[in-house]
Amino acid sequence: MTEPNQDLLLQVRDLDVRFRVDRKHEPFRAVKGISFDIPRNSTVALVGESGSGKSVSAMSILGLLPENAIVAPTSRAIYHAAGGAAAGRDLLKADLAEMQALRGKDISVIFQEPMTSLNPVFTVGEQIAESLRLHMGMTGKQAEARVIELLTEVGIPDPQLRANSYPHEMSGGQQQRVMIAMAIACEPKLLIADEPTTALDVTIQKQILDLIASLQEKHQMSVLFITHDLGVVGDIADYVVVMQNGEIQEQGSVRQIFERPQHPYTKALLACRPRLDRRPKRLPVIDDFMKGDGHPHLEERSRGLSPEDPIILEVKGLNKTFFLKEGLFGKRAVPAVKDVSFKLPKGKTLGLVGESGSGKTTVGLTLMRLHDATSGEVLFEGRDLLKLTEREMMAYRRRIQIIFQNPYASLNPRFTVGQILMEPMKIHGIGKDQAERVDMAFQLLKRVGMTEQSFYKYPHEFSGGQRQRIAIARCLTMKPDVLICDESVSALDVSVQAQVLNLLQDLQDEYQMSYIFISHDLAVVKYISDEIMVMNNGAIIEVADSDEIYRAPREEYTRKLLSSIPKGLEHAADLAS
Amino acid sequence: MTAYVIRRLWQMIPTIAGVILLIFFLFNWVGGDPAQVLAGKISNPEQIANIRKQLGVDQPYWYQLWVFVQQVFTFDFGRSWSTNEEVSRILLTRVGPTLTIMIPVLVIETVLAVLFAIMVAYVRGSVTDRTIMIVCTVAMSISFLVYIIVFQWLFGFILGWFPVQGWSESFWKNLFTYAPLPIMLAVFVGLAPQLRLYRSFFLDEINQDYVRTARAKGLPEKKVMLKHVLRNAMIPILTNIGISLPGIFVGSFLLEVFFSVPGLGREIITAVNRSDFPVIKAVTVYLAILTMLINLIVDVMYKYVDPRVSFK
Amino acid sequence: MSAVLTNPPSPPAIESPGLWTLAWRRLRQDTVGMVSLVVVAFFLMMMASSYFGIVAKDWAREKGVSYANPSFLAGAENLEAQAMAKKVAESKVPPVDLSDIDPLAPRYKEWEERAAKIAVTEVKRAESLPLGGDKWGRDVLQKVVKGSEVSIFVGITAALFATALGTMLGAAAGYWGGWVNDFLEWFYNVFTSIPYILLILAFAAVAAATGKFGKGILPIVLILGLTGWTGPYRLIRAEYIKHGNREYVKAAQAIGASNFSRMFVHILPNVSHVALVQLSQHTVQFIKAEVILSFLGFGVPVDMVSWGTMLAEAQNELVIGKWWQLFAAGAAMAILVTAFSLLTDSLRDALDPKLK
Repeated sequence: MTEPNQDLLLQVRDLDVRFRVDRKHEPFRAVKGISFDIPRNSTVALVGESGSGKSVSAMSILGLLPENAIVAPTSRAIYHAAGGAAAGRDLLKADLAEMQALRGKDISVIFQEPMTSLNPVFTVGEQIAESLRLHMGMTGKQAEARVIELLTEVGIPDPQLRANSYPHEMSGGQQQRVMIAMAIACEPKLLIADEPTTALDVTIQKQILDLIASLQEKHQMSVLFITHDLGVVGDIADYVVVMQNGEIQEQGSVRQIFERPQHPYTKALLACRPRLDRRPKRLPVIDDFMKGDGHPHLEERSRGLSPEDPIILEVKGLNKTFFLKEGLFGKRAVPAVKDVSFKLPKGKTLGLVGESGSGKTTVGLTLMRLHDATSGEVLFEGRDLLKLTEREMMAYRRRIQIIFQNPYASLNPRFTVGQILMEPMKIHGIGKDQAERVDMAFQLLKRVGMTEQSFYKYPHEFSGGQRQRIAIARCLTMKPDVLICDESVSALDVSVQAQVLNLLQDLQDEYQMSYIFISHDLAVVKYISDEIMVMNNGAIIEVADSDEIYRAPREEYTRKLLSSIPKGLEHAADLAS
Repeated sequence: MTAYVIRRLWQMIPTIAGVILLIFFLFNWVGGDPAQVLAGKISNPEQIANIRKQLGVDQPYWYQLWVFVQQVFTFDFGRSWSTNEEVSRILLTRVGPTLTIMIPVLVIETVLAVLFAIMVAYVRGSVTDRTIMIVCTVAMSISFLVYIIVFQWLFGFILGWFPVQGWSESFWKNLFTYAPLPIMLAVFVGLAPQLRLYRSFFLDEINQDYVRTARAKGLPEKKVMLKHVLRNAMIPILTNIGISLPGIFVGSFLLEVFFSVPGLGREIITAVNRSDFPVIKAVTVYLAILTMLINLIVDVMYKYVDPRVSFK
Repeated sequence: MSAVLTNPPSPPAIESPGLWTLAWRRLRQDTVGMVSLVVVAFFLMMMASSYFGIVAKDWAREKGVSYANPSFLAGAENLEAQAMAKKVAESKVPPVDLSDIDPLAPRYKEWEERAAKIAVTEVKRAESLPLGGDKWGRDVLQKVVKGSEVSIFVGITAALFATALGTMLGAAAGYWGGWVNDFLEWFYNVFTSIPYILLILAFAAVAAATGKFGKGILPIVLILGLTGWTGPYRLIRAEYIKHGNREYVKAAQAIGASNFSRMFVHILPNVSHVALVQLSQHTVQFIKAEVILSFLGFGVPVDMVSWGTMLAEAQNELVIGKWWQLFAAGAAMAILVTAFSLLTDSLRDALDPKLK
């Protein structure tokens, strides 16, 4: 018997969700009997890495799970619509009509990908008005007026115009604002936000977070905020629930979690994210906490450039313009990289930071001649790589390599790991014979932390982090001088990211490789780079030593980028020290 | 948008040229000397000599090509090798009967297929769904010929509800007496593949994120299907109709042959049997051009159906 | 790195499954798919044994009486056979005696004696056959078997041709882009702007008129193949464009793999399952097309039998109540095409599983 609690809006008890995979196997347990509360007028953050079950838990509240989901009958989600002595009702036992009355009115959802979550064939105004007509019984005219109000409230400029726009005509940030407008249209008591900022640029992220926070306060609603990023949590949440593998490892107020974390997993999550104020020699990883002594190694590493560093790669005036067809016969020039120049010293890391569309990835691809540069020079040991023929380039191919962002697409699904590693060796004639190559492959697999048995397996049997290691091993077969890391850790969970960053650092220490580290994540870039270049709209905005740039940014845009970093962890660090 | 249309028309030119070249290659080069082709089919040597002269068969290939191109643009393909009727007249008079059958078929089949597909998509995964799909598969594997033979025999011969064959001069008599059996037959046979296809369109849409959002807003399932899903599924459905539009001009030649309907399809079969090259060449080239124009019109109409489409 | 070469550990006891193995396992679990596979295999075996003459070798022999009844209707009346028998009997009746004006009359006796010495086996025609007989008394069952050989063989060969051609062209267009793509797209547009049936009939017209496409079943295989490549082309080209942009291909380029290697060693194995499904779909499509073309007389030549020629004969038989040839050919074809279609669906699901 659940006591009605005036303070609590929703009580989740013993939530158990399984997924039917096929007839032969046992259903997969995604959520293993968890319980947590959502108080009125507060923000609860549901934190976990991929596969933790956080999204599934949130979606089950509204019954929005896929068709093969099985919710155990012992699970309960008790919703207290009004305060006072009235008992709540169990949403998991409600019938479809009851749920439909609740959805969009009492409890709303916003999703991660606003582009696909909005219906592409209806205008934005129509989609918002639909909720109003359904739940509030408004007429056409009333709904129209309210739509304009809502769009203004969420910060969309020109709301009259925008109400008649289609989703694809808006940017990602604006689409998310529209989703939010749709969600708050009927004054819900609970807003479920499923990773709403993960797909957005850093500067936009901050705006959306601020918007959600201000709406929460203004409308006195509760927010269930699902995220993998503890930094975000620190800024906006009142309570935190930490999940791993379908179980809750720890929950409590935000102060408790950040100041006095109890569970090793929570401690690990807090610690393994690179911080702006410290730079340990190795990033702490989950294993340090779960299996080790729980004390991260705090010995610091200093970074920076000195004028005596030998330069291994020099780029002068690199330009890349894409030409798109337009009009009857014309072409439109889209400059992606504008006159980029830099020097890369041996054994050091150059960080390349920017938002999407800044041209940072294009720079990397053009250096490798995976794109054809429009003009410029890339000098490697004195030779301009851009002027070489394909055959001459072959000799240099093994010396500059690249690791891509998407671990699920960068390995050929039809090759075994062994074949993936052997191919570059065969092409460049590394190793005397097959036996020696196989041996080298085994050594490399061990070096990147994989078992030798991996040689015989296919990529689909490995996780994202493991695939990135295989990609790193592939590059290592050629012992490159320069390694371009194109958002190589961006698609990985925080704990896995730390492991891969440690590996990259170890390899740099051992082999003296030079890195060009491309990323949008400022904290990671600061951790691993000696020098940082900030790019925007294809041009370099600012270049400075990595410590320098955070201490004293010179340009406006750099300052804007820095201020968008969630401060949650630093806040906690201040509290702790 | 005018710029878009002009660009498309401009781009049609190389394709039309290609079609002309292909037909020329096929019929004039590979096909060769009409004397050889017609040997045994037309006994009158004078007639054959006339044809050869008309085509300029003794002339070099580039001259023949020039003759052909002229024919295309002046709508004058000369006369049929077998009936001596003017080819252009043949084409124009045969299109009517074909369309009298095919347009009703297209309309009825589409409406029924969309209706049934929504219903089946609504109960996806159920026994009903699976049974209907299996029935469709089996229905599709029986040859069209078998259907025609059986239907003609059953409804025409045994039950006598419709005439077994025939066509008249009056449009209305055709529509209500002679056309219904072929129309019914075509819809019956065509429904199964369309149903399967449209069902897959609906299922693709149901799995999209925006459907989850619609449900999250509290919309009843019916509204989700009939407003959100249907509207999006109309895009591939209209594409599909657009692709099949050119086909209605050829019509179902089997139907026309069996039911003695003097349409374009039957005309083509007869022409193939008699090696009547001018007729085949003319039909092919004009239908190709018609197809390109229909595609252009459909693409332009796309803008009203899919707001994401923009013309560059 | 150690200077000593160690022995590599032996492959693991449990074989790591590649994608084809996984697909096969998924297919095995699909009951409908497995049943279809068995049925298709049965038809293929029938086709092979027919080809090698193990069965249906003498399908053309007129074994039965005209329109012999099928075994399960053995006792039924067969008016046509009776009429035929009557005609034959009548022809044996000696004609009017013209010996006084007939100049050859004296020699008849001599010829009769000579003819009597030559043994002529007069075969007793069967009253009923397992699935009945056609107008000339040929065994319908054997015709169905022989017909399946032709129809299936044409279907598969034409599908192989069309898929191979479409795949090669699609790969070239999708991978190289540029002017290769522009040219092939133009070529594709030319072919697809002519309605499909019309295109086939145009080719058929030339083939029939000139005989330049070869003899026997070669013309129809060529016709179907040369007009059917457009479907596979479209799909394979799209796949090559998609995969060409994937990081694993860019990685291959980065390590220095050649264009040939990227096209055939890297991308092709990731695309071959699409080609396989296309092959299966087109086999079904071409079997159906061959039947219709043979029916119209543009398919296999008259001295061969296919399901299409059987249906052509069946058209007139139905009116006089002889339905077994229609049934046999129609049913055999329906069973094979259903099985093949279901197999194609199961193949697609096994190779590229998505939530239904």
